Amino acid sequence: MSETSVLLKEPWESFERQKEAGKFGIWLFLSSEVLFFGALLLTYAVYRVGNVHAFAAAGRETNIWYGSLNTAILLTSSLTMAVASQAAAAKSGFRRLIIGCLVATAALGVAFLVVKGFEYREDIEKHLVPGGHFALKQPAAQLFFGLYWLVTGIHAVHLTIGIGMVARLAVLGWRRRRELDENPELEVTGLYWHLVDIVWIFLYPLIYLPGRAG
Amino acid sequence: MSDAPDTPRKTAWQLWRRNLVIWAALMALLILTLVVAYLPLGPANTAIGLAVAAAKAALVLMLFMELATSPGLVRLAAIAGLVFVTILFTLTFADVLSRYIG
Repeated sequence: MSETSVLLKEPWESFERQKEAGKFGIWLFLSSEVLFFGALLLTYAVYRVGNVHAFAAAGRETNIWYGSLNTAILLTSSLTMAVASQAAAAKSGFRRLIIGCLVATAALGVAFLVVKGFEYREDIEKHLVPGGHFALKQPAAQLFFGLYWLVTGIHAVHLTIGIGMVARLAVLGWRRRRELDENPELEVTGLYWHLVDIVWIFLYPLIYLPGRAG
Repeated sequence: MSDAPDTPRKTAWQLWRRNLVIWAALMALLILTLVVAYLPLGPANTAIGLAVAAAKAALVLMLFMELATSPGLVRLAAIAGLVFVTILFTLTFADVLSRYIG
């Protein structure tokens, strides 16, 4: 178990303890993230209950294709992230598979941001930024788009951090600066990545699907 | 090393197969929620949209994030966030919804 001793860090005496502590730590952080995004979604929910029609009209203005494509991209990135994490945990010397999946995950994350960029440009051209020249008549539609810019922006920041962490592991593994096999950093990074995906899973029906049937 | 050289490749395929099934289920749910959003079901549209999102999140949490096979301490840390978000929503809506009645 030479690679285990390489990965073992202070202050842990056993590798198993270190892995458990890392996993427990990231889950505590993710729980605080759930509360953070939960508060934002609560704000959305309270405004929506009071302004049902304005929120439906505003939801119709979002681009369903960009939104659905980005959901598919993020779900696929969670697939490659899960394979990378499980391949590392399998201790079977899947070095190339792990690096390939990490690169694919980071690339899909970048693809999401590119699509989001095109979407933001279209939103700006359609005057969907709250303010003087806002496109819709209902005042509460501005509340929807105020939250839209805030929540998707914060999500994009989270995703950018995730891309950085995944790319870091891919580069360190590629240059053989870090043993990837059995490395608990992969699982911890993966858990963060999946949570950013889950946030988007809930944003999708709240942003893109209101008012489609009306 | 008694393992045959082709043993890891076989496990790699097993790894992909397990996760591709989960991914296919997630994609099917995405298409389902997209189609249902265009059916005129009234308030049920929102309820179904959120239910499908919850189903997708459950798949990611249980299988990709491996909560289904995680130790109790980890599950407790994961559930803590959900418990407090539930309290946050319940208490807030106890106020908000009572204002819109009557």
